[in-house]
Amino acid sequence: MGLMSDAPEPDGRTPDNRTVERFRIVVLPHLDSAYGFARWLARDPVAAQDLAQESLLRALRYFHAFRGEEARPWLLRIVRNTWTDMRTRYAAESESLETVENQVAAGPDPEQSAEAGERRRHVAAALAALPAEVREVLVLREIEDLSYKQIAGVLDLPIGTVMSRLARAREKLAAELRGRLGRRDHGLSDL
Amino acid sequence: MDCPTCEAMVDAYVDGELSARDSVEFEAALAICTDCRQRLEAARTMSGLLRGLPADPAPDLLRARIERELRAIAGRPHERARERMRWAAVAASLIVAVGLGWLGGNLTGQGGRQSDEMIAGYLRVAMAETPVDVASSDRHTVKPWFVGRIDYAPPVHDLTAQGFPLLGGRLDVVDGRKVAVLVYRRNQHRLALTVWPAATAGNTSPDITVRDGFALARWRHAGFEMRAVSDLAPAEMGSFATALDKAADSGS
Ligand SMILES: [Zn+2]
Repeated sequence: MGLMSDAPEPDGRTPDNRTVERFRIVVLPHLDSAYGFARWLARDPVAAQDLAQESLLRALRYFHAFRGEEARPWLLRIVRNTWTDMRTRYAAESESLETVENQVAAGPDPEQSAEAGERRRHVAAALAALPAEVREVLVLREIEDLSYKQIAGVLDLPIGTVMSRLARAREKLAAELRGRLGRRDHGLSDL
Repeated sequence: MDCPTCEAMVDAYVDGELSARDSVEFEAALAICTDCRQRLEAARTMSGLLRGLPADPAPDLLRARIERELRAIAGRPHERARERMRWAAVAASLIVAVGLGWLGGNLTGQGGRQSDEMIAGYLRVAMAETPVDVASSDRHTVKPWFVGRIDYAPPVHDLTAQGFPLLGGRLDVVDGRKVAVLVYRRNQHRLALTVWPAATAGNTSPDITVRDGFALARWRHAGFEMRAVSDLAPAEMGSFATALDKAADSGS
């Protein structure tokens, strides 16, 4: 697919106006999704913006290779590949997970009780604390709501591997949550 | 524990990935297997927790940055550009004009990034049809609106008597943190004041700079960092800061 490289397009074409217009209609509506996935990959809002921007630009560069498949998984795959290339740049500055917790805690949700906010903060922190390999598969399933087949496409894995990673991710998350939340107080006794 | 259905099917069932036939088989197992029921309950609980996490939409500034790139490649967007796209484009060109080297993912130079974010936020305030999330000139309406939306209570003052009526407030994200923005008006101009709790004690006097026709003011007063952006003249920005500080000190 050639998405892993920063090399110019194989055929050296610059996207023309019509391509950019099509890109606006087909791909740009999925920017929120790309940013959301980037947030969970990078675990830092500033790095996530850079990642999402770089991914969108790569997507435009490779848009001529887009064959009319589903645009959102296609874009998420580019986000994932771009992150593989970028992460070393951010590895040195990788921050504590506190930011993630605070971000989620500060969400604009006046309807929710303080307890619900507290619980969400724990859930976000537990998810952020998972190893990347299982975190991404869980985010694609539960937050991006992709099917097993779509996830397999994004991560370039066989479906069986997607399923086993998903199972492992859920086990680890349950263990992580049990450590963070009181079992009885939060109705999580079954996890 | 001997039930093979528990292990094999619970996840796929919750994920909606079982075939119709397997679903029927699983549902039959549910009726007789406590383990299956418990696992299903747990899987649903966890799924619900994850899906209940709030999703942050892409920040305005990110849109602006991408819009800038698209325009650089293709020129102006087609005829029916929406209002949102228009302000994004203006924010984009202004960021180019400010020229602080956005690309390259440089995490240093926080000051520049902060200013850019606030200018982008201001442009939304200045150009959007609804510049505020809570529209009111009554500070007793605006201040409580922030409760539960951010983790501090921003100081809200009505400066109508000083020529800066309050239009309302909104939330923005600066450096990854949710912050309160208060929007004031001076004649035809709008002013966006971003406020967050100061990490350092002591007041400073407003430092006013002009960038690309925008007056930017930064100062610290009564425990809050203040950043104001407007297309006002620098002197008027100074009057605003003075009026605000006086109001804060007198508690009005
Ligand atoms: Zn069973």
